[in-house]
Amino acid sequence: MAGKDVPVIHVVDDEAPFRRSLLFLLESMGWTAVGHESAEAFMQAAPAFPAGGGCLVLDIRMPRLSGLELQRRLQAGGSPFPIIFMTGHGDVELAVQAMKAGAIDFLQKPFKDQLFLDTVERAVHISCERYLETRRHQEAQQVLERLSVREREVARLLAQGLANKEVARLLKISDNTVHVHRQHVMEKTGTGSAAELARLILRADPGGLD
Amino acid sequence: MNSPAARFFRRLFPAMLLLAAAVQAQESVRIGVLAWQGLEEAEVHWSSLAGQLEKRLPGKRVELIHTDLAGMAAALRARELDFVMTNPGHYVMLEAETGISRIATQVGSGFADPAHVVGSAVVVRRERQDIRSLEDLRGKRLAAVSPDAFGGYQVIWAELRRAGLDPERGQVALQFTDFPMARVIDAVRKGEADAGVLRACLLEYLEREGVLPPGELQVVAVRSTSSPCQVSSPLYPGWAFAAAAGTPPALARDVLLALLSLAPDATGSSWSVPADYHAVYALFRELQIGPYAVLRETAWSSLARRYWPWLVGLLCLMLAGGAYTLHVEHLVQRRTRELSRALDERHRLEATLQAGQQQMEHLSRLSILGELAGTLAHELNQPLAAIGNYARSLLRRQQRDQLSASALQQAAEEIAGESERAAGILAGIRAFARKRARVREICDMAELVREAAGLMRGMTAGGPKIELLDALPEQQRHVCVDPLQIQQVLLNLFKNAWDAQQGVHVEAPIEVTLQVVDTTCRIAVRDHGVGLAPEVDAHLFEAFFTTKPEGLGLGLSICKTIVEAHAGEMQALPAAPGPGTVFWFSLPLVAAGAAASGEEK
Repeated sequence: MAGKDVPVIHVVDDEAPFRRSLLFLLESMGWTAVGHESAEAFMQAAPAFPAGGGCLVLDIRMPRLSGLELQRRLQAGGSPFPIIFMTGHGDVELAVQAMKAGAIDFLQKPFKDQLFLDTVERAVHISCERYLETRRHQEAQQVLERLSVREREVARLLAQGLANKEVARLLKISDNTVHVHRQHVMEKTGTGSAAELARLILRADPGGLD
Repeated sequence: MNSPAARFFRRLFPAMLLLAAAVQAQESVRIGVLAWQGLEEAEVHWSSLAGQLEKRLPGKRVELIHTDLAGMAAALRARELDFVMTNPGHYVMLEAETGISRIATQVGSGFADPAHVVGSAVVVRRERQDIRSLEDLRGKRLAAVSPDAFGGYQVIWAELRRAGLDPERGQVALQFTDFPMARVIDAVRKGEADAGVLRACLLEYLEREGVLPPGELQVVAVRSTSSPCQVSSPLYPGWAFAAAAGTPPALARDVLLALLSLAPDATGSSWSVPADYHAVYALFRELQIGPYAVLRETAWSSLARRYWPWLVGLLCLMLAGGAYTLHVEHLVQRRTRELSRALDERHRLEATLQAGQQQMEHLSRLSILGELAGTLAHELNQPLAAIGNYARSLLRRQQRDQLSASALQQAAEEIAGESERAAGILAGIRAFARKRARVREICDMAELVREAAGLMRGMTAGGPKIELLDALPEQQRHVCVDPLQIQQVLLNLFKNAWDAQQGVHVEAPIEVTLQVVDTTCRIAVRDHGVGLAPEVDAHLFEAFFTTKPEGLGLGLSICKTIVEAHAGEMQALPAAPGPGTVFWFSLPLVAAGAAASGEEK
């Protein structure tokens, strides 16, 4: 295992021989791959999302907890893992359901190894972007959390493009007070303009300016 | 007697009878004469007698009617004759048959005693030196006129018997020439017979008359008698002159007186008082002929004659019984044939039925496979996909120069393992789908359930968990079944249970319970589905009834058939507590001892 930034591929399939063959294939291309014999086993392991990205290859039909159910639970928990489903013959309906629920792709067994590897690569790429996105969001939130309630209020109005006087009138405070708040907000968030402040707020909360 | 004259007389004879009838008014005396030498000879011989008698019987017309043995008896019965002249033997027979009585006996010339006149001579050709005595006739051909002839046969017959030769037993080959007696001479002269029987003195008479060259024939077994001729037998009384039963005694007396007064005729014969015929009776008794013919008959035959109606009745009964027996036998045979035909037909039908049922079972197994085909394909794809993955991974590592020995070993082992797994699945399917003859093996019921559950899991990816609750005691857990068929039943029930649970997304295990009920093992399969709709319940075990779009509807009907073929029964009922359905079937348990010996095999 290389350092922390190496992408990790998780394979969940109850068919042990097939699961092992996929791991062997992934490792052949240099990926780091981890197998899980069931959805429950994956939930229990609860692996952290690797910094280098990664994805989840999930068999759609499994005893007890099915692939779809695992997907639902992961999304509910805000897991960033992109999911690739593996389906059997005649499971197209389930696959469509999975895609609607946000799966990256589905592969119908038996599938070509190249297609599998390409799909995994794409998923890992997406995961990296998502990871960065999440990082930015989290950072923005952390920055905004440093502001006091009043300062956050002032920041939102300023980000909406209001002048100091208009903010003072809306908040029924003096212009000077608004000025002080503005200076604090700019210092704490490290922003130089209302436009920068607006980007930060949107990053932390896409609906934060509504 | 084939001369033209003989033919003439033969034609004349009926005309003479007609003429005689016409002049009957003249009160004719009709005398029947045995024409032993032929009609012509008789006419010549007796013509003077008729004339002499007529002279001594005034107002009477004497008619001589020449006839043969049978003809004389017939004429007597028809009352056409008043008197007859015949040989002693014939007389004795006629006396018994028609009641005639003799009034005079002929005495030949040279014979002093009327009781010793008639005898027989056996003649042979002179050159036959081999025949000197009667014993020499054994196996020889002997000619005689008729079996009824007295001097011409019966006398010699008795002598032959006394000599130990019985013509009736074929010890002498008899040839009967019929009258006249000259035919016998012809037969001997021509060599058609080795010897011939002649009336005594005929030979000498014929030689005297110049008809026969003297010395050509000679008499054998000559006896010394009072006869002037050579004879081979004792002498018997002379011819009889007898009155018919209906002849008036007065006429008989007149005729007798006339006869006795006659002078000897041309041959020297004259008539005398009736001689003692005892010797003739004795001869007949000895030969068992004539009045003594009844002696020949055994007690059986006389009994038969007496009781013939009873015998006929008995015979009829026996015949009827025999016929009935035959009829019954025939019926039995026919019924047997019909029965065996019916049996053959039944065996044929049974064979057809069994073939049909095996076909159905086979179809049903294929139908299960068909219903499971989707999951089956998935099941086979798994090992194939794994094998492909390993193979391509090896190629990729090779291309990247990253193929380590340990990776190669791991991949090769996995490939081998997976190919074996795929082959195993295929073999299982093939065995299950193959047509096969019926078998019976003693099996542990729980083992059968475990195998069927294994097969179910093998066929269905992510298939249901099957929970076995085995309540069978150690001594009562074996059944004698076709394992594959019972497996088929179980597989059907598992598949149905699974389908029922899939419908409502229940993940609970399918429960299989084994328990002893009476002498049977009851196998219950319980699912946690919604249960059976009433309209479904009614048709559950019918062939081609199905609620599944891809189903053939043969599963449960075949299951029931299979279970019943194993002397068991099958039922479906709602699970308690519900929801769900329990399908159970029973199979007869076999004794532990039988099971043990069965397993040793």
